[in-house]
Amino acid sequence: METSSRELQAAEYLEKHQIKELVSYLTSALLFFRPEKPKEYLISLLERLRIAKVTGVAFPFFMDNSNIVAMFEMMDSSGRGTISFVQYKEALKTLGLCTEDEDLQDDGHKITLDKFKEEVNKRMKEICEKTKGKDSESYQTAAGLLLLR
Amino acid sequence: MDAATAPHRIPPEMPQYGEENHIFELMQNMLEQLLIHQPEDPIPFMIQHLHRDNDNVPRIVILGPPASGKTTIAMWLCKHLNSSLLTLENLILNEFSYTATEARRLYLQRKTVPSALLVQLIQERLAEEDCIKQGWILDGIPETREQALRIQTLGITPRHVIVLSAPDTVLIERNLGKRIDPQTGEIYHTTFDWPPESEIQNRLMVPEDISELETAQKLLEYHRNIIRVIPSYPKILKVISADQPCVDVFYQALTYVQSNHRTNAPFTPRVLLLGPVGSGKSLQAALLAQKYRLVNAQDPWAAGQQGTHLPPFSAVPDSLLMKVLSQRLDQQDCIQKGWVLHGVPRDLDQAHLLNSLGYNPNRVFFLNVPFDSIMERLTLRRIDPVTGERYHLMYKPPPTMEIQARLLQNPKDAEEQVKLKMDLFYRNSADLEQLYGSAITLNGDQDPYTVFEYIESGIINPLPKKIP
Repeated sequence: METSSRELQAAEYLEKHQIKELVSYLTSALLFFRPEKPKEYLISLLERLRIAKVTGVAFPFFMDNSNIVAMFEMMDSSGRGTISFVQYKEALKTLGLCTEDEDLQDDGHKITLDKFKEEVNKRMKEICEKTKGKDSESYQTAAGLLLLR
Repeated sequence: MDAATAPHRIPPEMPQYGEENHIFELMQNMLEQLLIHQPEDPIPFMIQHLHRDNDNVPRIVILGPPASGKTTIAMWLCKHLNSSLLTLENLILNEFSYTATEARRLYLQRKTVPSALLVQLIQERLAEEDCIKQGWILDGIPETREQALRIQTLGITPRHVIVLSAPDTVLIERNLGKRIDPQTGEIYHTTFDWPPESEIQNRLMVPEDISELETAQKLLEYHRNIIRVIPSYPKILKVISADQPCVDVFYQALTYVQSNHRTNAPFTPRVLLLGPVGSGKSLQAALLAQKYRLVNAQDPWAAGQQGTHLPPFSAVPDSLLMKVLSQRLDQQDCIQKGWVLHGVPRDLDQAHLLNSLGYNPNRVFFLNVPFDSIMERLTLRRIDPVTGERYHLMYKPPPTMEIQARLLQNPKDAEEQVKLKMDLFYRNSADLEQLYGSAITLNGDQDPYTVFEYIESGIINPLPKKIP
């Protein structure tokens, strides 16, 4: 049975606006946070996404400052206050903030908490900048990158 | 994240939350609306859709031959469900729309309204506030396949379609007795539905074209068309026989409309089977485990991952019982595949303990068996001491007299013991029934496979909505 033109049209629509990623993100958020009133929570998430798209300000993403600190502490198991370069690169990859091949300079010093926080925030902002004010595809890619892995 | 690489350790709270709040259905509805309307800007559209919150509002289509009682049923359903009724007449009579005036003109000329115009009228009407908020019932539309297709292209999909059916002879006769009250528009019948108040009786008019010939012609037309409309609504259609009293038809229609259809939502069954001793609980549990691969947590022959065997429950203190149960239910296969418990919880305390440990069942069944059947089932059980075979004097008698001579009865199956155990159950059952409000009660006094089928349909279909 050949797919009708309307089916193809619908599939195109899904692709173009990246609806699948969006719905996936919303459902994960719901199941993770398990709010009392799911509809209101969804409305608030969508409003934040909408405003974010328009103004380019911070997205509703899963990681915020306290998470960054927690992540750092997890990696720094001996409590020295620094993490190794390899750990740092792995962390950035897990957060989706850098690609496999990107070559970060290894300046010989270990990475401290402040440097880690700074780098994470800088990259998050870059993503925000990249997607600011463009059409609907933009926030989708960002939200996709920031999905809980 | 690839689900195939490593088994996910999903905390059980997530699927429970998903089931209770119907997250899957919520997302599915939103996605459907997105695909139907394909807005340029999906996010504001989704926000608007969520605000409207009308996923569960009635959207019904009632079809049927003339004189089947469509309009009567439609009007009663409307009053009951508090939705808006849409019929050909009241669509045309809408005074505020230009399309309606056009349609009225054509109707007066030719007695029918062209499909395109009609569908446009419907679209306008359905976009109004009250239809969106409270739902709608379409009476007698779509009549032809063309109308059905047009409605579908506009994205108007009903959730329930009811088709009334009756033999033609009955309908022709019934139509002769049709009378209409000009003031309220209600339809009465000289034999079946005569209004009690005499002032209404005096007002009643005979509608035109109810002679046998005309009804027969209309029926012919109807049969020609309906056969092509029915395939447009495959899974949501229900045929109700109109050859019964009006109230019966209404009752059937109402129950159907208030039931939900099966969804594709992921669902791990967590089933409780409760009932007096001898009602067949462990048999049903074994059948369920076999067919659906649920974990029968009390299976004495299952080599669990740690070889946990659960002891008989009556003499064990609650805390120990809960410990053993939690050990079993926490294992990965129980969480992934679902479980079935029978005979537990025995009373309210055990039930509360079970809930506090987080094992909330999502289907509870009470098997009702009358006392005499239970006595029959249990007191005639015998065992052969030589071979170890179990027999039942009525359902599975021993083949030879020699074996029958040496059969022994388990002292637990003596009449007094059975009575005691039953009393114990019934003392606690009232509390349990109250606790598990959405439990399903079944007649356990039938052969095992019939009972199994009832249990199956109880698990597979969504829980019926309570009437508010």
